[in-house]
Amino acid sequence: MFKKSLLLGIVSGLLAGVAALVYAKVYHSSLGADFSKVAWPVRIMVASLFGGVLAAIGYWVADRLLKGKGEIVFNLLFSILSFASLLAPFATKLPLDIEAPELFPGMVIPMHFFPALAWFTLKPLFFPNRLQPS
Amino acid sequence: MYPAVAALILLGSAFTFVAGQNWQIAEGYSIAFSSNDASGIFKGFKGTIVFDEQNPAGSKFDVTVDATSINTGNGLQNKHAKSDEWFDVAKYPEIKFASQKFVKAGNGYQVTGDLEVHGVKKSITIPFTFSKTAKGGQFAGSFTVNRNDFKVGKPGGDVGEQIKIDLSVPVTK
Repeated sequence: MFKKSLLLGIVSGLLAGVAALVYAKVYHSSLGADFSKVAWPVRIMVASLFGGVLAAIGYWVADRLLKGKGEIVFNLLFSILSFASLLAPFATKLPLDIEAPELFPGMVIPMHFFPALAWFTLKPLFFPNRLQPS
Repeated sequence: MYPAVAALILLGSAFTFVAGQNWQIAEGYSIAFSSNDASGIFKGFKGTIVFDEQNPAGSKFDVTVDATSINTGNGLQNKHAKSDEWFDVAKYPEIKFASQKFVKAGNGYQVTGDLEVHGVKKSITIPFTFSKTAKGGQFAGSFTVNRNDFKVGKPGGDVGEQIKIDLSVPVTK
């Protein structure tokens, strides 16, 4: 169970990281806002991977502690925490030589949802038996 | 005879008024502000700088800071700073300083002049230094203003009332 959960977390994190990099590229080319000094590719990948692994640990803990209701509680918590993390980009103070800091939350906020999105998308592939009605 | 003398006097006085060296503001200047809570820079700065180390009394600073160019590093803070509660940049887009008097003070100088912020004009004295560089020179100064004197923000609150201003202005001839 933990191995499967961890693998799902890692794959979700990598997928979220790739999605975030693509989104950052599109954001930069369409709006001209360059935040590569604070959100460079390796940092984006590591943060996404961290989100995925954290979710894996959380899923495993919730499943062990709450048994049947672990899944529901975990999904709820993952969504709520992803949403709550949106406060961070708004409070971030960027280096003063970066132009247009008001565009920074617009780039980072969607990225905060990518790990959850990837997790929920890939989970049926890793835990197919959980789709069956009990 | 008299017209010739008058012309000479006028010519002489003209040279007296243009005694200082005219300097151009170069790239790489820094107009920074800091308090206990907020800090940032103004990116827009222009004006006339006439300064002569040997004769500071004949110098002149007439400079303008673009208040709309404020950058605190945070989008929400920038929006707040530009609002009518703080700099009200829609109504007062410029911060102006016009010198009145220069004196030598220790290793540096002091300039007294009118600082206009948020539509409020007040006389202040700014200590500064001038050092020669390969490309021209470098002005550096630091002083503190009370934002309440200029009706910037409300008294009290999270942002300190004493705002430290640090200036660094490279110039070329």
